[in-house]
Amino acid sequence: MRIAMPLSRRVVRFLFIVLVSILLLALAAACDLIPAYQTSAATLQPPAQAHWLGTNDIGQSVLTGLLRAAPVTIGLALATAALALTIAIVMASLAVIYPTWGRALVLHLTDMGEIVPSILLLLLVSAWHQPGAFEIILLTAVLTWHDDVRILRSVLLREISRESITIVRHMGASWPYLLLRHIPQAVMPTLTGIYLQNVVQATMRVAGLAFLGLTDADLLTWGSMLQDAIGYLHTPAWQWLLLPPALCLTGFLMLFQTLDQRQTQRPQSVDGAMS
Amino acid sequence: MRGMLGPTQISQQSGAPTVHPVVNRFVLLRSLMQRVVVFVVLLVLMSLLPRLLPGDTLDVLLDSNVQRGLQNSEIADLRDRLGLAGSLVEQVGRDLARLAHGDLGYSLLHGAPVSHLLADALPWTALLIALATPIFLGVGVTLAAEAGRQPGARADRVITTSMSLLTSIPPFITAVLLFLCFGILWPVLPTGGAEPLFPAETPLLRAQEILRHAFLPSLALALHEVVRYFFVLRGEVAVLASRAFVLNGRSRGISGWRERRDYFGRNLLAVVCARLGQSVASLFTASLFVEVIFSYPGVGALTYHAVLDRDYPLLQGAIAVLALLVLGLTWLLDALTEILTRRG
Repeated sequence: MRIAMPLSRRVVRFLFIVLVSILLLALAAACDLIPAYQTSAATLQPPAQAHWLGTNDIGQSVLTGLLRAAPVTIGLALATAALALTIAIVMASLAVIYPTWGRALVLHLTDMGEIVPSILLLLLVSAWHQPGAFEIILLTAVLTWHDDVRILRSVLLREISRESITIVRHMGASWPYLLLRHIPQAVMPTLTGIYLQNVVQATMRVAGLAFLGLTDADLLTWGSMLQDAIGYLHTPAWQWLLLPPALCLTGFLMLFQTLDQRQTQRPQSVDGAMS
Repeated sequence: MRGMLGPTQISQQSGAPTVHPVVNRFVLLRSLMQRVVVFVVLLVLMSLLPRLLPGDTLDVLLDSNVQRGLQNSEIADLRDRLGLAGSLVEQVGRDLARLAHGDLGYSLLHGAPVSHLLADALPWTALLIALATPIFLGVGVTLAAEAGRQPGARADRVITTSMSLLTSIPPFITAVLLFLCFGILWPVLPTGGAEPLFPAETPLLRAQEILRHAFLPSLALALHEVVRYFFVLRGEVAVLASRAFVLNGRSRGISGWRERRDYFGRNLLAVVCARLGQSVASLFTASLFVEVIFSYPGVGALTYHAVLDRDYPLLQGAIAVLALLVLGLTWLLDALTEILTRRG
């Protein structure tokens, strides 16, 4: 674990920076430091001095849209991933703490989660009413937490059966104390790895949903900007309507994928992930 | 039942992961039961959710310009005939009973029975998936064998890096880019529909046209799956490459095609099969995006438009049939995997 520690700490620091920057962006958008995303008569203008990345079909500046969509898109992904991870941690802990009924219940639920055709459920709910930010976070997290449970459970099992934990237990440490002081450090590399993967998956899912136009129409994300661009593939406007949000999404995903791969390439954390 | 429980309990008590044929049958039975539960929950949800909204289909129909002054008794009669009368539980129960009889309902928007609409759309989706499957399996296994047989070599670095890049692009963006490149910028392939407006006369020409229309969508589907397969298979090949029988074979001068096919290819069969089970669901999901982007008349696009139009009978029928297909196919593939892995 000692080798993997610094990297997972760096990942946490990186995530913190991402969080702060999107909060700043959101604040700037709220305080109108970023120009308003408003309609104008200049529709479908190519990139020029006035609008650096051109305008869309109702005269909104694409650059402003990208900046305003960034905190929403990234925030949704980070929150969804965090919620999914939290549910998974609770479930895995249940399975570890109560090895009889807890384990059976959790493994059953995980199996069920794996076979639910999630797109059908998403379609059903979107047809019922278009989900806003909170519903998207909740729905996506509920549909994806099962991916993380098995690995978390095995890591937790491994950690609590360590000699160091047994010794501390014999010295009279309580489980809450252990859960706060000893276990987190040991499972941190696994947690950050799972979290990075979750962010990637959540970004793809939410963007896909927005791309299909199934999210709340007021929710401006890179995915919904992509959806707007689809109608203009037959005109030159695709160059400034399609490419910028596509590049933003891909760049963001690439950043998280690379981080995740660098972390899993460390022999220590791979070992942790496999056992 | 008793014969099935006996050995399972024993193996659970001893705690050892012993592979016993009877235990395996128990596992398969359990996964079947889980699928039945998921299916029923989906059916109930899909019947329940639309009814929780204020208003119903009849209100939509009566709200049009052609509305006549109907008596309250006539409205009640209509509501009864459309299956909208009674309490929520009664309505949901009636829906489930109707589905159990194989009656999928009638789409008022399309003016056709849902089963006909689905029967028209399903073959197109099946065609896309059937065309995409050999592509992604072939390309996935080939690239994985090439990259994994010598981990860290130049071929491995090039292939793995480009695959990592491809992973970062959301699949629907890849599909849009394919559409843009080969449909609009360099218009060599058709970009919409499954065949021309006026199909060719001779079967051969018609098949050719259909293949041309299906090419881009199935390529987009395959690209999406290749990435998912590549990393798993590459890891598997890398493990195989260090096994004694491969070392032995190589030292006896086995290389090239034979090494890739007989030493790696065959041993990947169980892994491929296991992944296929998960692919069924993801292929259906991906085909929805692909069909929407390429306006292909498959079941994904049909379901999508049912969502946009709030065509609940069609949506319910499509979800019931798709869920049944996905759950059934994954279970079959699970069973197949079980048999293959037990063979060794």
